[in-house]
Amino acid sequence: MRTIIFTCFCMLSCLALTITGCKDESDTQKPVINLIEPVEGDVIKIGSEHGVHFEAEFSDNEALASYKISVHPNFDGHQHAILRSGAVDFEFDKSWLLYDDDNPEPKNVSVHHHEIKVPEDATPGAYHLMVYCTDKAGNQSYLALNVVLSHEGDDDDGHDDED
Amino acid sequence: MYFRYITVIMVFAHLQSLFAEKQDTSSVTILKEVTVMGSYGRDIDREITLPVAVADKKFLTEHFRGNIMQTLEYVGGVRSMDIGSGFSKPMIRGMGFNRIAVVENGIKHEGQQWGSDHGLEIDAFAVDRVVIRKGPSSLLFGSDAMGGVIEIQTPKTPLENLFYGEVSILGKSVNETFAESVMMGLKRGVYNVKFRFTSQDYGDYKIPADTVVYLTQRMTVDNRKLKNTAGLERDASILMEYEKGRHSGNITISNTFQKSGFFTGAHGVPDATRLRDDGDNRNIDLPYSTVNHLKITAQRQLKNDNFAITWNLGYQNNRRKELSIFHTHYGNQAAPTENPDLELYFSLVTLDMAMKSEWLPCDRLKHSFGWDVQGQDNNIAGYSFLLPEFKRFSAGVFYLASFKMTDKLTFDGGLRVNYGKIKLSGYSDIYLSDYLYRRGYPDSVTDEYRWRGYPVERAFSDLAASFGLIWQANDYGLLKVNLGRSFRMPGANELSSNGVHHSAFRHEQGTPVLDSEKGWQADVAYTFQNDGIGLSLSPFFNLFENYIYLKPTGLWSLLPHAGQIYLYTGARAVFTGAEAELNIDFTKKMTYHFAGEYVYTHNLDENTPMSFSPPASIRNSLILRHGNIRLSAELQSIATQNRVSKNEDPTKGTNLIHLSATLITALARVSLSVYNLTDNAYYNHLSFYRKAQIPEPGRNVQLLINIPLKRKMK
Repeated sequence: MRTIIFTCFCMLSCLALTITGCKDESDTQKPVINLIEPVEGDVIKIGSEHGVHFEAEFSDNEALASYKISVHPNFDGHQHAILRSGAVDFEFDKSWLLYDDDNPEPKNVSVHHHEIKVPEDATPGAYHLMVYCTDKAGNQSYLALNVVLSHEGDDDDGHDDED
Repeated sequence: MYFRYITVIMVFAHLQSLFAEKQDTSSVTILKEVTVMGSYGRDIDREITLPVAVADKKFLTEHFRGNIMQTLEYVGGVRSMDIGSGFSKPMIRGMGFNRIAVVENGIKHEGQQWGSDHGLEIDAFAVDRVVIRKGPSSLLFGSDAMGGVIEIQTPKTPLENLFYGEVSILGKSVNETFAESVMMGLKRGVYNVKFRFTSQDYGDYKIPADTVVYLTQRMTVDNRKLKNTAGLERDASILMEYEKGRHSGNITISNTFQKSGFFTGAHGVPDATRLRDDGDNRNIDLPYSTVNHLKITAQRQLKNDNFAITWNLGYQNNRRKELSIFHTHYGNQAAPTENPDLELYFSLVTLDMAMKSEWLPCDRLKHSFGWDVQGQDNNIAGYSFLLPEFKRFSAGVFYLASFKMTDKLTFDGGLRVNYGKIKLSGYSDIYLSDYLYRRGYPDSVTDEYRWRGYPVERAFSDLAASFGLIWQANDYGLLKVNLGRSFRMPGANELSSNGVHHSAFRHEQGTPVLDSEKGWQADVAYTFQNDGIGLSLSPFFNLFENYIYLKPTGLWSLLPHAGQIYLYTGARAVFTGAEAELNIDFTKKMTYHFAGEYVYTHNLDENTPMSFSPPASIRNSLILRHGNIRLSAELQSIATQNRVSKNEDPTKGTNLIHLSATLITALARVSLSVYNLTDNAYYNHLSFYRKAQIPEPGRNVQLLINIPLKRKMK
């Protein structure tokens, strides 16, 4: 009897050890977003033809997958309420792949575009701009910025003069 | 506010003078009670093949924190998943939420335990004895008891005719808690009636940090106090017992009400302006949640020399409300005219019925047979949506045999057949479909997203089994081995949810075709008990062929405020680890206690750890007793948790020092404790606020006064 129980005990411990021993774990490291433009508190010109200057660097320890930009109103501190007449609340949601056939497992990708265009009839006010990024394993990181949509903003391409 | 304090002090003064004359008898009785319950703990350990721990009244009082789960954290393998300083829910060996059953007076406590911001609705003051079963308990307790059971038992009835009672007062500095609880009971002849009222009020809690980071935004915390984390609790309960010859029975009615603010800095999208000090650290502002749990249970027992039969009945209604200033993510929803700030409302009604019989045809054999039926009805309201309305039914039959082969060796084995059915109503969000239509998405996309809760109707047939042995090798050593097959029916959220979880801030999607969770669980427990030395070791190994978790899909959600979609998926998973405890009485006055625990989790399909893996932890404590004074010092070491699942942050470890001094006299028991003496800033890997990088409460000075009352009656 004693031996049977002792064997049970040992087997259980061994089983536990073998499983604990396998360190072969898949990627749990999140990608890194380095957002260069826009920055916290930026004023975005409504109706600008140039669009918002978006510039970011994405990096990951293994392989980047995709990124997404989302802009939505934050008129009363998240508590978006009631319909407004005339103007339309600006909403933007778009995602892009960070890999392609030439580079199926990229570790560093720089992005620069002007695809976020705010139409003339957009409601001015406080907005959130969120940037999400995923790697191929499904790890996700994100950033949240407070931006202001205004008719008064600079109507240039957002680039510094020396560019 | 002051009025209530004065009333309590007056009640005090009055009761003290009443019972001053009975000093001698009460002190003797207290000592007697302690010994009785200690041996009860050892008895139950020899009867159940699973590792069990018994927290008796003495243990519960010595570790009292005003919150039952924070008290039970002192039991090896048990962890408390906290939401701020007031709410907590249980975790045993890395398993929480719907995988742990809390049973009170034979009835499973049914709240909203699937939710990440849910806390257990149980009056900590009213708990007199807890039996903790670590490991697979589906056989006896059905679905949801896969990871273990916290069994709150009714206390032993006094033997003699007695008027008894207790007044307890608790104060905590960290959130300026003031709590009082009054219990009064009368035992007369075959009847025993006990009443308890508890009230707790607490303010915003202090953290040892000046800033928190929420959704990547660093925000200042004014005066190091987390704004709007204040709360209150009001509980009342009554127990009526009857015992005459072979018959006994009881009825309990309890109502628990909790109201607690949500930290404004971790609710919704971050906004620093909402975090400014409003000058009042005790107000509960929007957003906040309230829970009211009404529970009525009845038990009846018939006992013969070799036969016992027990019936249990239970009715529960759990009503949870979350209130927040009306807001919409889609811009097309008008505020409701009635209760415009009611964001979410769940009303869950649960009915339970159970029967259990035991038959001992001879000294060596015991047959246990039982069945149980449970029905649930969940109704919802509010301008937002999280969980659909559902109806759930489950029924099970079990048989367990226990065979005492020799005086030292007992085997037991059993089987349970379980059937469950769930019908989810489904919920189509017209505001969301309109929003998606206006954004120009095709109908196919709108159709896919508008179902915030899928209409699902499923039935599950499950089997639970267990085989175990208890070997009392000699007077000192006890070895237990248990192998169990357990199951859990998928929850409503796992089958049907489809949308952004407002507090987790991610798009969580249910899978209507999910199978029940199933696994094999092996446990060994060894205890050695000799004069002055106690040792216990309990390793475990669980292998699940279907363990439900939220898998990141890598697909972007179209919903505002959402990143990728997380899908409820079944995976093969391993949970293994061990608890070790050592107790050495150096002298009659000095005891050293060591407790350590480790859990290793692994998702075999993803090849990553599981989320919410509790970090390894060790407690070293020294207890000194001299006359009626008890002093204790404890070093709690929590290891760094680097074993995290995808999209979970590692949590750094810490060392905490806790000190406590207790004076026990016939009149009262006064205990002064300091927790986190050095005011360390650290995170709890299992806390709801961990994601928001909000540290745990800082240094906490706690005063607990218990005044027992006792008067013999003729």
